[in-house]
Amino acid sequence: MNDLSATRLWLMRAAFLLLTLVILFFHLLPLETTPRRWAAPDFLLCFALAWSLRRPDYVPAPALAGAFLLADLLLQRPPGLAAVLALIGCENLKGRARSLRDANFAAEWISVGVIIISITLAYRVILAIVLIEQPSLSLGLSELFLTLLAYPAVVAVTHFGMGVRKANPGDLDGHGQRI
Amino acid sequence: MASDRSNSNDYTAPLRRLLLAVLILLLSATFLLWRIDSPRVERFRAQITDRLVPNLDWAMAPVTGTVNLFRDFRSYQRLSEQNQELRSELRQMQAWKEAALQLEQENARLLDLNKVRLDPRLTFITGVVLADSGSPFRQSVLLNVGARDGLVDGWATMDGIGLVGRISGVAENTARVILLTDATSRIPATIQPSGQRAIVAGDNTIAPPVDFLENPDLVRPGDRVISSGDGGVFPAGLLIGQVAADPGGRLRVRLAADYERLEFLRVLRHYGTEHVTDTAQVITENGPLEETQEAASE
Repeated sequence: MNDLSATRLWLMRAAFLLLTLVILFFHLLPLETTPRRWAAPDFLLCFALAWSLRRPDYVPAPALAGAFLLADLLLQRPPGLAAVLALIGCENLKGRARSLRDANFAAEWISVGVIIISITLAYRVILAIVLIEQPSLSLGLSELFLTLLAYPAVVAVTHFGMGVRKANPGDLDGHGQRI
Repeated sequence: MASDRSNSNDYTAPLRRLLLAVLILLLSATFLLWRIDSPRVERFRAQITDRLVPNLDWAMAPVTGTVNLFRDFRSYQRLSEQNQELRSELRQMQAWKEAALQLEQENARLLDLNKVRLDPRLTFITGVVLADSGSPFRQSVLLNVGARDGLVDGWATMDGIGLVGRISGVAENTARVILLTDATSRIPATIQPSGQRAIVAGDNTIAPPVDFLENPDLVRPGDRVISSGDGGVFPAGLLIGQVAADPGGRLRVRLAADYERLEFLRVLRHYGTEHVTDTAQVITENGPLEETQEAASE
């Protein structure tokens, strides 16, 4: 039992990194070479938040940091800034995972929404402080709203498709202890 | 943390917090380093991309092909409509073809009369588009040619007809092309036939506006926009597009290159425009008078 869950833990950690690569892969496909008026939701952030809330031990901080930094580097964003904000957001959610475990989905959506909005806001404020040209507001807002709207769908995929579910009281973690 | 945790968690928790703090510091340091010393971090970014993206190419090519197939399929539904359009376009084209043939012959005659030599150093390398920028905030593509093929930052990139962008960021096997539509793209241009100098400044729309125009009254929609080569980093005389006025009355460039399908791009080799550096000198019977002698005699 203990060995099995340890294997599963590492498998799921690898699965998260694989998921990151798949998301980036679809971002990089050379299909969109003309400018668009709207931006697609940030699926990587959605998945990271959904996993952090459900199983914090599947997405350890180094994996999150690596995934976000890789996304920053490949998607031509200022490297490190979006990553550090997303990492802080995910860790904040992990700290509250136990209290949110028993809450219903609306409460979860609201708390995740607050985190996504604060990440976007902090990103723009820091860009303004260090005098970097900001991405256009309409694109940023469309990304924000679509990310918020996409979160329930991402949770559904996480829950039913990937089997990453909230731990029930009494479930054991990889070390055979109560989560 | 929770009180019912066993001992092992009691000392992994502070460790975990320490690790988190280190990670946050590292990421912030990366960002600050990028802000202070951008070229070094950008080179690192290019190297990471260079490592990763060509390895994904085997998977990207079929997926891109499939998606494009479905897009084409959607356009097949409007087939008869398109056929009509194409026919009328073809009729117009035949008229243009006649005109072009006549002009070509005339041009050849004139070139022959003038003994004009076109710049033989303006050759090109063709690359395949590997990936796009991946985010709607940036407009760039990644080519599968790089430093290995002798590419240099700043070279011009064209599709068959018009200018597409310039090389910015060269790694060993890949190079990034900043498209003219990117918000950071600025290309010095000349507008023909009035000869006005201007800057084509990308703003993340499909038709970049024309900036720093001296006399907008001389420019009409439909005028040709070509690169001017001002500043010496960009070859002159490449077709960018046509001037068009947007509903707000602002002049924009309708780009000649087909941005819908960027697949193969030409990178023009360009070794800088030569400048005349020395001034007029006095020629004596022993050859030109030396600069120092001139200064001494004054």
